Amino acid sequence: MLTSHAPPTAPPVHSRAVLARPALAGVWVLFTLLVGTHPLHAQATPPGANGCVACHATQTDPRLATPAALFTQPDVHRENGFACVDCHGGSASSTEAAAAHAPAQGFKGKPAGQALVATCARCHSDASFMRRYAPKQRVDQAIEYAASVHGQQLAKGDHKVATCANCHNAHGIRRISDAKSPVFPTNVANTCAVCHKDTTRMAGYTLPGGAALSTHQFSDYQKSVHYAALTKGNDLSAPTCNDCHGNHGAAPPGVGAVTNVCGTCHAVFAQKFAASVHQPIFDKGCVECHGNHAVAEPSDQMLSAGAGGACAACHTAGDATDKGTAAAVAMRTGIERLKTGIDDSGSLIRRIKNAGIEVSDEQLALREAGTKLTLARTEMHGFDVARVEAILADGMKVVASVDSAGQKGVSELRFRRRGLAVSLGAILIFVVALGLKIRQIDRRDHERRATL
Amino acid sequence: MKVIDWVDERLDLSGVRHFVAHKGVPLHAQKVWYYLGGMTLFLFGVQVFTGILLLLYYRPSAAEAYESVQFIVTEVQFGWLIRNLHSWSANLLIGLAFAHFFSVFFLKSYRKPRELTWVSGMLLLFLMLAFGFSGYLLPWNELAFFATKVGTGIAGAVPVVGTFTLRLLRGGDDVTGATLSRFYGLHVAVLPAITTALVAVHLLFVQRQGMSVPIGVERKLKPGEPLPQMPFFPNYILRDVLAWYVVIAVLAALAAFYPWELGTKADPFAPVPAGIRPEWYFLATFHTLKLVPSHVLGIEGEHLGVVVFGAVAIFLVLVPFLDRRASRGQPSRLFTWLAALGLLYLVSFTIIGHYAK
Repeated sequence: MLTSHAPPTAPPVHSRAVLARPALAGVWVLFTLLVGTHPLHAQATPPGANGCVACHATQTDPRLATPAALFTQPDVHRENGFACVDCHGGSASSTEAAAAHAPAQGFKGKPAGQALVATCARCHSDASFMRRYAPKQRVDQAIEYAASVHGQQLAKGDHKVATCANCHNAHGIRRISDAKSPVFPTNVANTCAVCHKDTTRMAGYTLPGGAALSTHQFSDYQKSVHYAALTKGNDLSAPTCNDCHGNHGAAPPGVGAVTNVCGTCHAVFAQKFAASVHQPIFDKGCVECHGNHAVAEPSDQMLSAGAGGACAACHTAGDATDKGTAAAVAMRTGIERLKTGIDDSGSLIRRIKNAGIEVSDEQLALREAGTKLTLARTEMHGFDVARVEAILADGMKVVASVDSAGQKGVSELRFRRRGLAVSLGAILIFVVALGLKIRQIDRRDHERRATL
Repeated sequence: MKVIDWVDERLDLSGVRHFVAHKGVPLHAQKVWYYLGGMTLFLFGVQVFTGILLLLYYRPSAAEAYESVQFIVTEVQFGWLIRNLHSWSANLLIGLAFAHFFSVFFLKSYRKPRELTWVSGMLLLFLMLAFGFSGYLLPWNELAFFATKVGTGIAGAVPVVGTFTLRLLRGGDDVTGATLSRFYGLHVAVLPAITTALVAVHLLFVQRQGMSVPIGVERKLKPGEPLPQMPFFPNYILRDVLAWYVVIAVLAALAAFYPWELGTKADPFAPVPAGIRPEWYFLATFHTLKLVPSHVLGIEGEHLGVVVFGAVAIFLVLVPFLDRRASRGQPSRLFTWLAALGLLYLVSFTIIGHYAK
């Protein structure tokens, strides 16, 4: 079992490669003196030297056996030739427990809190080291973490907060592109929820304003359009917790920054909103109408000051003096008119298509009208009625041209059927006449034969 | 002076006059099957006529084929009618050709001295299938593109010459614009030339030998008793014309009420759409090949299937030479059963293939 999970025979890096260069060797010595331990200690352990796993696998105490078992499963570090001693120190070649775990061998035991972050950061914050394994990977995770709510709380001595291992696991660490990784996009929310939906664990934590931190973010997120896109639509670009809050630098976006966060993906909407009359009024930006974690699928019904409308929070339905209500009514009416036009034209085009009229051009035009509808819905976020109506008017022109073509198609169909009826009538007359002629000829032949 | 007299004076039409005046068609209970050949020939004429009209606008290239057919059915006056007539007529033609084939098979009309008429007829049936296969790709729509890919792939499974045949048909390793050019050339030049010559030969044989009389009818006649005859002209030919008019009426109704869909333009990079299947007349073969296990007695299933179908085709061409009883004018139950089995297989596998997923 041990041999089957032994490190690769050719470890990717070795210190000798670095020491071979005199200039770097000088830096190496200086760095060793200054720091004591440094990332280059953590390079791949020679193959066959991981005695830790062999011994720990036989332990009856699960706290000792489980890490060894997990480490022999898919683990990005083991697969790159790293061994237990690279994080825990000690001697992997010693067969005596005391010698293997001797402080003199650099044994550190199980690092936790800041020590854990430092252990990971030894390699992951070293750009030249990481370049050998994952050249595109960022190396500012530890800096970001220190700036996060988690990192700040940890610095204050709060050991309940998440550190690296809470999200990535300590052993059996998978690449983030691995679907079984706890930080794979579809698993992130579940990973965060381990702590954030735990009411006992989260008790006492507050938001920047002082309000108690809720624990229903995960259940709210599960109702959102983002969650549906990610888990049901298999759209891995759909946002999960870290896309809005940051991953290593996790923190709430904060008042005033929400639009920027949403605007990362919804750029045009954010741009329209930034120029709108609502921009200086809406403290929470997009969240004012769409909510935060439970972002529902947007609908035209939201554009209303009536029941179920997003405008109702500030505007009054039926109030003629309320400019906001009037604007919402005008935009909504125009959008509904274009929607109805597209639906009606679509039915007409489908009907004549089923009857055999070629309608590719009209279908293309209807798609253009649909694009206008989408553009109007986007422009609506600028809350400028004139601009929205101009786009809707363009859409209605397209619908009118499709309708006209559809009516021509209906006339063509009528012409074809009338033509067919006339042709069949003519054929029938000819067939009957021919039948009579054949009978006449047959009768004549019969009479001729009878007279012979 | 009448025109006919003018021509007669110069070419001496007395032979033709004599032939027309004396040609008769046997009168018996099964005479209705005689009309199938004429109807098939008439539809071939419709195909030639509508095909020539389509040629005026069709452009045989991957970039323009689909658009040109779209132009024909939308912009060209009565273009929709011509295209629908061509498509429906093609299908009716193959249906009638099969009906004609089975009627001749069951009535043993292939027996001596009409062996060559049967051989030329069988070759014409294969040519009709080749017409259907090559014409299906010409609108360059999605269904046709992928069905052609499958169809030419089956041709590629022919042992020894398969790869060569596949590359010859496709003009390369894959179905591309080169395939379209080849199929176009085949459909509008090569096949019509061969078919016209074979139709002429087939008709010459039929006119020369007259209509075959079923063995059962022949055996009921007393020695020396003549079979009643109907004059070919005008009695029989007028009935033929009547049948053609019925075919025209059916074609017109189909073209007006069930127009042939153009579908979406072929995209070689698009994923294969669900439900790709060939035209109905290839469904039985296609479904059979699907059912053949991947390996049979160590031979690749598809290769075996293609070889068996090839053997069946050769057998069918040689039927008049194999059915010795029929050639002696004796009832031939074995071949009647073979024809019945063939018909049952074709009908049932076509239906199953149509509904199979």
